[in-house]
Order: sequence, then C-alpha cells, then structure tokens
Amino acid sequence: MKKHHLRAILLLLLTVLACSFSGLDFLNMHEEEALFPSPHLTAKKKLSDYFPGLKNSPGDSSVYIFEGQMRGGTLLILGGTHPNEPAGFITAVLLVENLALKQGKVIIVPRANNSGFMHNDPQEGNPQRYSLDTPGGTRWFRYGSRLTNPIHQWPDPVLYVNPAGQKLSGTESRNLNRCYPGRKSGYLTEKIAYGIMRLINDEKIDLAIDLHEAAPEYPVINAIVFHENSAELAAIALMTLQMEGVDIRLEASPPNLRGLSHREWGDFAKTRAILLETANTSHGRLKGKPSASLIIEGRDKNYQKAAQLGRLFVPFDENGIPLKQRVSRHLASIIALISGLYELHPDLPIQLANLPSPAEVRQVGIGPFLKPLK
Amino acid sequence: MIQIIYHIIVLYLTIHLVWFIVREKKFWDQLSGMIVLIIFLLRLFLIK
Repeated sequence: MKKHHLRAILLLLLTVLACSFSGLDFLNMHEEEALFPSPHLTAKKKLSDYFPGLKNSPGDSSVYIFEGQMRGGTLLILGGTHPNEPAGFITAVLLVENLALKQGKVIIVPRANNSGFMHNDPQEGNPQRYSLDTPGGTRWFRYGSRLTNPIHQWPDPVLYVNPAGQKLSGTESRNLNRCYPGRKSGYLTEKIAYGIMRLINDEKIDLAIDLHEAAPEYPVINAIVFHENSAELAAIALMTLQMEGVDIRLEASPPNLRGLSHREWGDFAKTRAILLETANTSHGRLKGKPSASLIIEGRDKNYQKAAQLGRLFVPFDENGIPLKQRVSRHLASIIALISGLYELHPDLPIQLANLPSPAEVRQVGIGPFLKPLK
Repeated sequence: MIQIIYHIIVLYLTIHLVWFIVREKKFWDQLSGMIVLIIFLLRLFLIK
C-alpha cells in the first residue's frame, strides 16, 4: 500500500469520527425539554388531532387544553412560532405549568413550529439551549431557529408564493408566520399553518394570540399588532397596560402584508387575531457574543451604545431587557386582552387563576414558577 | 421527486470526494477534501 493511500484511510476514519461527533451534537437538538403541566390541565392533544396530515411528522406539536367549570370564551395562545424568540415560548410554558381556569377555555401550543426547535441558524453561534433555575433544580429549554429545519423541508424555492398569494423570498417558505392560512398538501410549514387554522375553526376560538419577539432595532417592538376586527380590543388592552405602567404601542395589521397570523387568522378564521412583540437582544443584529446569558439577562454593550445613539425603538440601559421582563410583559398583555374581551363581550368571559402576576415574574423571575424536575 | 434528485446529486459528489481523497497524493489537498466530505456526509444522512 502506498503512503498516500494509508493517509487517505486515516483521513476517512477521521471524517467518520468528526461526522459522528458533530452529528450527535446536531441530533441532540431533536430532544425536547421536559414540561410539567398544571394539575388543572383538562386535556392534552396533538396538532395532528386537528389535521391528521401532520401525524408522525416533525411539525406535529402538543396542544394543552384548560377548561373552566363555567362556559365562557375560548382563547388560543401560540408560543414558539419562531423558536429563536424565547419569551413567547417561555410564557406559554409558564401558563401550561401554572394555569387553572375558573371560566372559559384556554388552548396553549408552546411549540407552534416544532421543527424549528430542532436546529438553530448556521453561522450565528447561538447556544442550542439555555437554563433557568427553579426551586427543584435547573431546567433547560431549547433555543431554535426562526425557520423550519431544512432537513424536514427542502429545497427552498427561489421565489415563494404563500397560500395567501404574497410573493416572498424562498426561505420564507419555512417561516410559519408567512405561511397562513396554510395548505393541506403543501410544504411542512404550510401544513403546520393549516393545522393551526383547523384548530382555530374546530375549537371556535374567540381570541387568538401569537407570542413573538423582535430585535430592539426593529420598529414593531413592545407592540400589540392587531387585525382590524380586534382594533377596539387592542385599544382597551393598551389603555389597561399603560395604566399599569407597561409602555406598549399599537400596530395595525397591514391588509397587504399576507400570510401572517394577525392577518390570516382574522381574514380566514374570522377570529380576533393579535400578535404580541417584546424586545429580544439575543435576536438582534447589533449584539455581541451570543450566549445563554444574553438570552436570559438581555444585557449587551453594543445595544447600550445603539440606545445612546438613538438607534433603538425601546429604552435600553446597562440592565438590558431580561427574559423575566419580556415574559412579564407578554403575561400582562394576555391578561389585559382577556379583560378587554370581557369588557366588549360580556358573553365571552375567561377567568384565569393560579397564575403569578406579571409584577411577580418581573421581580423574582420565571424559575420560581416553573415545576421542579421529576 | 426533487428531493430524490437532490439526494442522488449529494451521493454522487460524496463518492467523488472519497475517490479524490484516495487517489490524491498531496496531504493538504487530501485534508481539504476531508473537510468538504464531512459537510456532504451530514447532508447525505439528513443530520444537518
């Protein structure tokens, strides 16, 4: 055997080793974090129960249903539409693990785009997970990607025409919040969107809330984005929040921006559609080194500088915008929207119980309200 | 269908890369081939 042949065998063995090492690391992202639902949970379903086309696919996701003893309105809360926006996901987890319902029905989908949690964005250097301290130990949660895993949906088209007819760049075919109202036999992301639309129709959702985050330099931030059928509701919620000292703004859903939850849920399912945005430092383009602590603490010197230069749409100082503050903001907005819904429609009451108050979450953090590991 | 075609292309290029590493005499070129091969294998087995 010649010398270069021997070297080739050695290099091929090294290749197998490198593939195994990195492959295991990537496959590790398919592991889902543990969730411990509140004892008041009425039923746990899957998205595939509403749309069987998702069964055994990476797009299938858990649906948690809470029902009060008295009838009332039905609320849908979606976390994890974009798995790199952790406040939405963690708010949904906090609700699933604590909620008790006196009246009405609340349906929560923490991992709306389950496939997006199974990878993260290449070349971003984001951590695969972050941890929160609970009284019973440390619990980890997945930090994913804005888009569906390309392993599950590929190749991307050059130009994507979404189910609502809007032309977008090809990668947007993997963005759940551009794929509404979905397609029964379309891409995986379109099928997820279709499943969510079926859920909204089958459960006769009165109010649907999509939880998001955006970079502090993005104009639609600390905002309630509303479909025109929910303008009054959003205005009432805004006033409630501002009276509580939560600085938030209103953004009307543009009628010609198609495929988004706040547009198509209202147009196609006729439900009251709301999207909530908080400011996430780890999501922004100006951030320094990405890390788990950036996700949780939200402190970053570059953003401090940008704020001093007046380049941000939210106040930003040395305290950053921690996850607990963002979750508290989402929680306060949900409560204000429920109360606004009752004010406008007394026949649609939803009475939440057993939840930490937004002020408590802001003060002591999220961990004390999460269940200990079993 | 398009996914099968894509997979066949990746497999074809992977085989070529392995063959290149085996017949190449220069160490640094073999090493470069190896680095590219890792990415192709991860794609071929739908890991990343």
